[in-house]
Amino acid sequence: MTVTDLAVPDGVSPAARARGVLLGGRPARRLGIRARITLSFGLGALLLSTILAATTYTLTRSNLVDARERNVVRQTYLNARQVLQTLPREPETMRDLLASLQTPTGSNPIVFQDGTAFPLQPIQFGEDALLPELRRVVLTDGLPALMRYDLDGVPQLAVGIPLAVPDVDAAYFEIVDLSETEATLRALGLSLLGAAALTTIAGAALGWWASRRALRPLADVSEAAEAIAGGRLDTRLAAIDDPDLGTLATSFNDMAQALQERIERDARFASDVSHELRSPLMTMAAAVSVLDGQREGLEERGQQALDLVTAEIDRFRQLVEDLLEMSRYDAGAVRLQPEDIRLAEFVLQAVGASGYRDVPIELDADLAGVVVVADKRRLARVVANLLDNAAKYGEGATAVSIRNAEGVVQLAVEDLGPGVPEDERQLIFDRFNRGGLSGRRGSSEGVGLGLALVAEHVRLHGGTVWVEDRIDGRDGARFVVELPTDDAG
Amino acid sequence: MGTRILAVEDDERIRTAVKLALEEEGWIIEEAETGELALEHFHRNPADVVLIDIMLPGIDGFEVCRSIRRTSDVPIVMVTARVDTHDVVAGLEAGADDYLTKPFAPKELSARIRALLRRARTPDHAAGSTLRFGDLELVPDQGMVRVSGREVHLTKTEFRLLCELASSPGRVFSREVLLERVWGYGYFGDGRLVDVHVRRLRTKVESDPANPRHVATVRGLGYKLQG
Repeated sequence: MTVTDLAVPDGVSPAARARGVLLGGRPARRLGIRARITLSFGLGALLLSTILAATTYTLTRSNLVDARERNVVRQTYLNARQVLQTLPREPETMRDLLASLQTPTGSNPIVFQDGTAFPLQPIQFGEDALLPELRRVVLTDGLPALMRYDLDGVPQLAVGIPLAVPDVDAAYFEIVDLSETEATLRALGLSLLGAAALTTIAGAALGWWASRRALRPLADVSEAAEAIAGGRLDTRLAAIDDPDLGTLATSFNDMAQALQERIERDARFASDVSHELRSPLMTMAAAVSVLDGQREGLEERGQQALDLVTAEIDRFRQLVEDLLEMSRYDAGAVRLQPEDIRLAEFVLQAVGASGYRDVPIELDADLAGVVVVADKRRLARVVANLLDNAAKYGEGATAVSIRNAEGVVQLAVEDLGPGVPEDERQLIFDRFNRGGLSGRRGSSEGVGLGLALVAEHVRLHGGTVWVEDRIDGRDGARFVVELPTDDAG
Repeated sequence: MGTRILAVEDDERIRTAVKLALEEEGWIIEEAETGELALEHFHRNPADVVLIDIMLPGIDGFEVCRSIRRTSDVPIVMVTARVDTHDVVAGLEAGADDYLTKPFAPKELSARIRALLRRARTPDHAAGSTLRFGDLELVPDQGMVRVSGREVHLTKTEFRLLCELASSPGRVFSREVLLERVWGYGYFGDGRLVDVHVRRLRTKVESDPANPRHVATVRGLGYKLQG
């Protein structure tokens, strides 16, 4: 299999890049293995059944025709002997003689006496029904002869026997219509064709079934791999009871096990580290508050240093909390504390508690009774993080607005910053991804987990979050959180 | 004499820093390194407030809390490492009145302690009298509660919660209101504080806590007290 290198646009995440290369390994428009197996089985069956049918037809045909010929010849000899004994006779009585003969079906006996032909059935085509060669051989050369020919597309068999009647020039002919034999052969041919077609279909079906059966373990593997990629790390394959494929299940499960252990170890590590950081942070937070109480006694430079430490401890604490929350998400250990929340009241409170209390809030009039079921404090973090993000990268939020739509509410945070380019609108919700804006804005701002946590929180609430252009067309970003509303509320 | 706080914390540096910070705030701090030492100290010389870290070597914070609760209604603040797990609920069920998550700001702890030390709100009309709700009797001035004539012991916070509900019998109090009046929290207080305290209260004042007669739940709204 050749690996085609796909052009991956800049800014695509490494995961997408890897996917691109893997996908590139499969040449476009090639038949799948199942189609190929089915096709091979079908073609094989077609070839085999055609050969068999052709052989059968040929052999049957020659046997049938030979037997018929022998039959006709034998009967003709018997009739010729009978005719011989009664010749010469009056032409008027010739018809009675011919009628008394035993002839095979479709046979027309003809007696020649002194150059005149006496057929049983009138020969529409006159004497020429007997081809000149045959007449010559039998009548002139005095030899028995047999000839097969087509008359108006109907196969005919003509047998001629010279009769040794003294003083009379006589011969006996029989012309047999072979169309009955041909009809039999045609029927046989049709049946053979039908059988060949059926065999081909059966072959293809067998191929399809066999390939399905053979590939079922692969389908299971792919399903399990998808489940693992989707986050269900404890997915395993059932043992395959087959010496050829058993190792596949075993090694797949070994791989999944190793992967799960590794991911869990990483998650545990992040969680453990964050927990360990809590104790020194606690000490620092308490110690710095002692210093803060004596701030007035410090010189200006000392006060500046103290303010720096205080602010950094705050940020540090936020980072540790975010990391812990993130590792809880990774471990699937986040349990929401859902409550009925009146959205209008909640947003006023959340903005008020966020440290950006001056940001104007725009509420729809029909929001008064709208209730969402949500974890109050996590949803408040969503609001706070979006406001934080606007402050750090969007020159401050200009408005928080809430709109009530059918079955959902949209909470939007707008800013007048540079906005978010199209190709970064997904990436911006990745961890520690500050987008292309970080370079310009000074990398000390923010910790890069804020929007990732927003995405996780919103997802767990059954909602979606995205970033778009401002509605009024000015430069800036508009972050929208869409949550399902409680229908009963 | 100032308010004495017993701080139970095994990490010496945290203990020292918290002690320094709380002393700045005007509290008197007594320290204990382990649960065993804390219980010994408390029985010898009961503090006004106890601050317990859940993660302790030897007997853990929950056990220390339960031991103290057997003999005392002192306000207890638990220090937990995580908000999410059942640690919070387990701590409250062990008898804690409130909790903080490490690392917390000492000012926040001071605010919590001050809220827990507030006096019970005596319903204005009930000064010096006894309030009756069926077999439940409440004497706010004496901090006394009787069920069917028998006195039951409530913690200070349980008592304040009951007084709050009794200040307006039959009225539904939302969690937010109770959090604010009893614990001094704003909108984002943890509703589990109310829920667990109501549960604890019911085991003490209800004859059948599973089918409460007095402290009733009003679905989606809150709680109310009835006769």
